[in-house]
Amino acid sequence: MNFLSKLPNPMRLLSVGALIWLLAACVVPATPAAEEGPAENAAAEPIYIGVSGPLTGQNARYGEQWKKGFDLALEAINGAGGVNGRPLEYIFEDSQSDPTQSVVVAQKFVADPRIIVELGDFSSGASMAASPIYQRGGLVQFGFTNSHPDFTKGGGTYTWSNSVTQAQAAPALADFTVTGLGLKKLAVFHLNTDWGKTTYDLYAARAQELGAEIVATEAYLADEKDFRSALTKARDANPDGIVLIAYQADGALIVQQLRQAGIELPVVGTGSLLSPDFLKLGGDAVEGVYTESQFLPSDPRPQVKTVVDAYVAKYNETPDFFAIHAYDTIQLIAKAIEIGGPTRQGVHDALPQLKDVPSVIYGTANFDLETQRVIDPTFVQLQVVGGEFVLWDGSQPGAQ
Amino acid sequence: MEDFLRTFFDQTVNGLVIGNIYALTAVGLAIIFGVGNLINFAHGSVYMVGAYVGWVCVTRLGLPLPAAFGVVVVVCGLLGMLIERLGLRSLQNSARIAPLLATIGISFVLDQLIQLTFTRAPQSFPSPLPNTRFPIGGVSIGVIDLLIAATGIGSAAVLYLFLRYTKLGWALRATAQDRDAAQQMGVNVNAVNQTAFAVASILGGIAGMLVGIYFSTVYPTMSFQAGLKGFAANLLGGLGNVPGAVLGGLLLGLIESYGVSLFGATYRNLFAYAILILVLLLRPQGLFSRQRQAPPEPLTGTFVPNSKPIHVPPWAIAVAAGAALLLPLFVANPYVLQVLTNAWLFSMIALSITLATGTAGQTSLGHAGFIAIGAYASALLTQRLGLPFTVALPAAAILTALLGTLLVLPAFRLRAHYVAIATLGIGEIVNQMILNWDWLTNGVMGISNLPPPSFFGREAVRIQDVYWYALALLGIAALIQWRLVRSPLGRTWRALRDDDIAAQSYGINLNRYKTLVFASSTLIAGMTGAFTGHMYSYINHESFTNTISILGLTMVILGGMGNLIGAVVGAVALISLPEFFRVLVDYRYLVYGLTLLLLIRFRPQGLLGTV
Repeated sequence: MNFLSKLPNPMRLLSVGALIWLLAACVVPATPAAEEGPAENAAAEPIYIGVSGPLTGQNARYGEQWKKGFDLALEAINGAGGVNGRPLEYIFEDSQSDPTQSVVVAQKFVADPRIIVELGDFSSGASMAASPIYQRGGLVQFGFTNSHPDFTKGGGTYTWSNSVTQAQAAPALADFTVTGLGLKKLAVFHLNTDWGKTTYDLYAARAQELGAEIVATEAYLADEKDFRSALTKARDANPDGIVLIAYQADGALIVQQLRQAGIELPVVGTGSLLSPDFLKLGGDAVEGVYTESQFLPSDPRPQVKTVVDAYVAKYNETPDFFAIHAYDTIQLIAKAIEIGGPTRQGVHDALPQLKDVPSVIYGTANFDLETQRVIDPTFVQLQVVGGEFVLWDGSQPGAQ
Repeated sequence: MEDFLRTFFDQTVNGLVIGNIYALTAVGLAIIFGVGNLINFAHGSVYMVGAYVGWVCVTRLGLPLPAAFGVVVVVCGLLGMLIERLGLRSLQNSARIAPLLATIGISFVLDQLIQLTFTRAPQSFPSPLPNTRFPIGGVSIGVIDLLIAATGIGSAAVLYLFLRYTKLGWALRATAQDRDAAQQMGVNVNAVNQTAFAVASILGGIAGMLVGIYFSTVYPTMSFQAGLKGFAANLLGGLGNVPGAVLGGLLLGLIESYGVSLFGATYRNLFAYAILILVLLLRPQGLFSRQRQAPPEPLTGTFVPNSKPIHVPPWAIAVAAGAALLLPLFVANPYVLQVLTNAWLFSMIALSITLATGTAGQTSLGHAGFIAIGAYASALLTQRLGLPFTVALPAAAILTALLGTLLVLPAFRLRAHYVAIATLGIGEIVNQMILNWDWLTNGVMGISNLPPPSFFGREAVRIQDVYWYALALLGIAALIQWRLVRSPLGRTWRALRDDDIAAQSYGINLNRYKTLVFASSTLIAGMTGAFTGHMYSYINHESFTNTISILGLTMVILGGMGNLIGAVVGAVALISLPEFFRVLVDYRYLVYGLTLLLLIRFRPQGLLGTV
């Protein structure tokens, strides 16, 4: 850079600046729009789905899981000839799950005529900031991990979700804890996010209705790692069971620190724990943990088994909550495009008509037209035995 | 009673274990601050590298624990030397603020490299230690607890002996006291700095590895919080004070542990930062440092570089402003307009920060808190009281100015880096209040369905309108600020920045002028927050995180401290660059970090220079 130092300062600045912008500008047009998934029907113009989600930053790992689910679903769909004879593809734009960037991504998708439906974002803050933009752009925003009760109210008839509503999942978990497992004095740890808070409120209400007592409640932030102090506090309330309203990594950490502190109480957790990560990160400590979910990886039903087998063959791990939601959502959207045609308006009009869509999670998915969410999911009770999630054998922890 | 004692003992052990980790991180920061007078933002990333190197050694290579320790020491030591070479030495003759920005860039790059190499998923780190626990009375202590305690105390002891009895240690302390004098006495200052970075990074890396074992997990986002806690511990003990850092770390661990026990886990950070502010109020020099009348050199004077700013002719500004104003008529792409709208809003944030940081020398890392106050104030005024946005926006801005100034008041006694960390704490406290004051802020559920920004009944629904409103607000803010910094008030602020002791002896009431500068700065921040909140239509505690503060400060440094045009240029550059790099997908922020480093390397005084 010697030649630069001879120039006067402003000129140096200009040349360095120009160099960088030039570099940036070179990269931009050089890349084609998107090359995701196999393009089997090279002749036909692909149909594009826009995805706004985290690929970098704090929540990047969830975006990673999404991609796995999407890719598998697209392989299946495009392998079978695509939708209406055209291959289905997605364009994933990184938002870091940050509202500053999710609104930008939303504008980008709205302006891109190829995109006929949008999936995501991950966090409520990022997703809901983008909703009005999608609504004005006439593009359906389909959130598949958005359990915030106001999410589907943010963009009129353009905001839909097949995320599990906590109004159904949380009371069912309470039934399992109190009636099924016979636990009466509960210490609850919940993630302090809108999902965790909603779940907790619904869970606590139902548990108390069934005669159980919540003796300790510990809310914790998503980046919390040290639970020892909170566990010590919960232990001193003398519970007979620990309830986790948690994600995989934090759930595994809590159970591990619980066992390290010498507390041998039964643990019940939300369906979000259902993942290979929870088992891997938790190791021996998570043995015996109970959970409840809509979906069991070892479910023998063919519609679940084929998907799980294909997933294991492709990624060498069992799918988790997020990957399987991503898979299911692509299948559902493909259905909607089939019915309404590959246009924005088509998807918008087709969503209310969807009936009994085959789903790995729900068996068949149906929507409540009022809330624009899935109705009546059924649940299975599970337990970690021998490092795997298996169906709960019906025995209560005290009786073993 | 027995129950209470058991709880108390357990919480004390919990606090001391995590406190030891904080202490190890804080000591590294203290050493670097001591010799380099630099807050090393890359320290958290080094800590993470240590954790991952340890994890690779133990789980992938199957090395025994002592060997893994050795590898961590070597790798992190070398990394520290590399950071010194890249981040510090090449910027030696530029202003202090440049190395600070360089460390931010380096931490970006390191974090991204770790994420790209080891994926973003957390990795399981099964403890290589026996899982036996030693019962003491009714409670028990694990092997890892003992190992952490032993490492913490051991490293502190070795460090003490090193600083006290070795020649290199003397040189290190001499450099910390007076760099130029040390150099005159024949100390190879560069070698000393390199040693300091190596030692600090080794300690950081060991802390990271121990944390990995303690939590049985390593994860690629562990760096940020670790860095923050390290700063806090450091400040508790007294910046740059090594024994103080150890005690500060232990104390912070204990405070948090007792705090969680009393109030619950969500209050951990609130408690930690509230204590921090309290300590700053009572003992601004830190708990374990002796009162010093004045620092050995006026930090503020050298902190902000003296350079000749690039003169941008008024016609060029007019042309640029005119082009920005007319742009929506020619560019219909909403994506481009949204990116620029974000750039205008961030320009306002950068203006607000550069007023406090650049003009008056009060480095702020807490502006995200003020933006959040503005957003919530406006949201509540429109939703609960039904005020129109036209009224709510200025009201929210004034409210932010009042609350913001009140919150910063305790930091008025502080100088230079202390202000930076105190404001960081204030930002965190605001965030925690939003999270925990359900009755006011609706807690984690946030506030949804905010009406779009509108002035006198004209709603900004189309992106063009949002763009023009944002641009107009920026114009107003910039004009007011331009008038302010050119007035006698602005001169007084700069006097405050350049030499506050001299300013004081000329009869300037420092507190009055600090109040004025923070009131003006937070007014702009509040206005920006109010507008942004309504643009999003939904806000919660995650909408305005402290990454915004750091990004804003980066824009300010990049553009040139105190330089209004520079603030706008910095904001436009840092908002649009990641958009250009979108095609790089996963590598986007790696390239962004590298670009940042290049810019600092060739333009350490900021793109347009300091005013």
